Amino acid sequence: MLQYLVILLNNTSVAYCHADNPLKECSLMPLETLKKGILFGMKQNLMIQYVFPNYELPKEYAKVIESIDNVKIYPIGCKPVTGIEDGNNADVEVANEVPEKVEAKNLVLRLAFSEMLANKDEIAKLFASGARINLCITDVERFTDGQIEAYKQVLNEWDAILLNLYKQGQSPQFNLLSDRMMLEKMHNCEAGVSNITLAPNGKFYLCPAFYYDEQTKVDNQLNHHQPTSDNAVGDLENGLDIPNLQLLKLDHAPLCRNCDAYQCRRCLWLNRRLTWDLNTPSRQQCVMAHIERNASRALLNDIRKIGEFMPEIDIKEINYLDPFEVRKEF
Amino acid sequence: MSIKIKERQYNVWREGNAKNITFIVTKDCQLACKYCYLVGKNVKERMPWEVAKTFIDYVLDHETDPDFAYESVVWDFIGGEPFLEIELIDKICDYIKVELYRRNHHWFNSYRFSFSTNGINYHEKAVQDFIKKNRDHLSIGITIDGTEKKHDLNRVYKITEKGSYQDVVKNIPLWLEQFPGGGTKVTISSADIPYITESVLHLYSLGIHEVNINVVFEDVWQEGDDLKFEEQLMQLADAIIDDGYYQDYACSFFSEHIGKPMDPERDNQNWCGAGKMLSVDAAGNLYPCTRFAQYSLRDKEAWTIGNIHDGIDKNKLRPFLTLDRTTQSPQKCIECEVASGCAWCQGENFDAAQTHTVFERATAICLMHKARVRANNYYWNKLYRKLELEDLREQYEANKREVKPEIC
Amino acid sequence: MKKKVGQVTPEEKNEIQQLFERRNGLNELAKILSADNTELYEKLVKDMGETGTKFQGWWDRMSKKYQWESTENGNWEINFETNEIYLVS
Repeated sequence: MLQYLVILLNNTSVAYCHADNPLKECSLMPLETLKKGILFGMKQNLMIQYVFPNYELPKEYAKVIESIDNVKIYPIGCKPVTGIEDGNNADVEVANEVPEKVEAKNLVLRLAFSEMLANKDEIAKLFASGARINLCITDVERFTDGQIEAYKQVLNEWDAILLNLYKQGQSPQFNLLSDRMMLEKMHNCEAGVSNITLAPNGKFYLCPAFYYDEQTKVDNQLNHHQPTSDNAVGDLENGLDIPNLQLLKLDHAPLCRNCDAYQCRRCLWLNRRLTWDLNTPSRQQCVMAHIERNASRALLNDIRKIGEFMPEIDIKEINYLDPFEVRKEF
Repeated sequence: MSIKIKERQYNVWREGNAKNITFIVTKDCQLACKYCYLVGKNVKERMPWEVAKTFIDYVLDHETDPDFAYESVVWDFIGGEPFLEIELIDKICDYIKVELYRRNHHWFNSYRFSFSTNGINYHEKAVQDFIKKNRDHLSIGITIDGTEKKHDLNRVYKITEKGSYQDVVKNIPLWLEQFPGGGTKVTISSADIPYITESVLHLYSLGIHEVNINVVFEDVWQEGDDLKFEEQLMQLADAIIDDGYYQDYACSFFSEHIGKPMDPERDNQNWCGAGKMLSVDAAGNLYPCTRFAQYSLRDKEAWTIGNIHDGIDKNKLRPFLTLDRTTQSPQKCIECEVASGCAWCQGENFDAAQTHTVFERATAICLMHKARVRANNYYWNKLYRKLELEDLREQYEANKREVKPEIC
Repeated sequence: MKKKVGQVTPEEKNEIQQLFERRNGLNELAKILSADNTELYEKLVKDMGETGTKFQGWWDRMSKKYQWESTENGNWEINFETNEIYLVS
């Protein structure tokens, strides 16, 4: 069920997930489109998430933006000024390098794998900030089996740091390690299923990455019954039209539906890019998610040595990192 | 006392235990069959020897890789018309034999060279020399569609549009002499329906005992075709039963295993072997099945899974190797009361899909399958009643030949 | 005339089928391998001899084990699909 409407206020709105935003030319969403988008969200009962560029929007936008309860996603250091301070704790800062401090309650930290390793100590310092830290690897496609041990190692080190914070009575939130400890079922990105993106052109996309691909003419064709073969899945005039919607859902993903790496993003864009099918994850995504899962399991076990913690959660020991290797064959 | 080994020709050789590796040796063919799914045939894309050799080396270098961990191998040659490239094929097969032996590769004890040909140049010296040289490892099927009228309706020469029947039928006796159990593959499109009965009987009269026949998967069917199809199959059933063909001849349309509901858990396997097979084209690109090469696709771009130099990108195989029946089927197929035996082609599914996916099953043959099931039920009810009345059922059951569906 | 005289186990069938396939492979390889390729040629000649011996050995062992019926000018056949042994005379 759709719950969120992501509105890209500008072509250059900040990238906040795996895909970089390659669009350089400023193209602000027309005010009328924004109003229609908000209206769509209201009628569909969707929570609006605005994605901001790194400059201040014209004043007339502020009033429209605040005409509805919202979450703001913005580049770190560019907090949008709309005149309304509603104390919304869900706002998200996005950084492409490790910041010294975090002001919002949520930080998305986008780093390449090598940057993550090089900055592991600086990243660890953020755990005590009180903010939720979402680390997003921006070059998943380049992850190789040769990096498995390095990933295990860095998560291990972070496990120890998080454990200390738990011992001190804190409850740090770090997506790669603490999320899985709290989850009893899949909690993935769910692009196209629980959230949809409205681009400045007034069209809907599964997520911003599919919009970037279309604009930069990367072949990521979704919609073959449209002669232009674009990635749009509807527009504000005609509403949503998501072909093969069922294939975006967990029950139509053979590798994922029995998987318990519940914190995995299940990124459709990476799926499409690496396996060419939206419902099939790449080895990279599976292996990384399972390394995180196993590190979460270790952390959970260590925390339980201190005292009772999430007793209803059971993360079993497994002997594989890629569910493809243990897939059911007929 | 001497010992003689007689091996029956298998319907599907080492079913499930054989890796199927296909060389698209040429995209050229003498014919331009009207139902042919190969929309991009051309005379230019002929496989160079270097590509073939590099590919073979790649495959044999990966003997222990899970993708090649099969007991046996079928080296398949297709086109276009593969025998147009008989010299290349001969060189490829010689190289494979020597390399398998030199490397002590386990496939040396279990390989076949397989061909599906239009039969036009079957009699030529180069082809015949090749057959003699590799006789014990060959599987060759000649496609003949039935009567001259039915055959020539579709299987015509590409420039003159002249029917090819006469040029094919003259080679059938030679082929049957060399491959006595040889079966033929017949394809049915909308315009062919009225000729089904006479065509199958005609093929029997040529001495072909096994007729593998299927309707095209593409969305070509007209309103009312299913009823015409059912009528033809019932006529065919009558002829096979009344004239006693059922004892020594087989037609894949009639099978006791089709037309039953399927359990979503237990009967959840994919129909075809796309992804478990491996194909290579003249440019050295690799595909999960030839149907994913560009010359087979109308609306989509080729689904390459790598090339002979960089090898297989295993991520591109993951969708194929996780495919199951229910995930790709619409609800009507999952709930279908006569689901078993209803086939699909992964390549056609991909080509016809709304999105870039192999998980959307094309259902253009739905009504045709249902018509087949009705005629099939008629066939078995009639046959078993006859056998019971003649007290021959037990004997029939003990000796009946089973035609397994051709699964690619 | 053809008469069923026995049956072997799947494992026994696999053994003779593999030898049968190998023998055929060696025979066809012999058609294309010249004596110039000394190393491979010598290996082939030796292999053909060994495979032939193993092949005959299988029939000797099995006929002894199962005591199949035989005739003066008859021969045995195996059906690889059913594992059945036939006497053809």
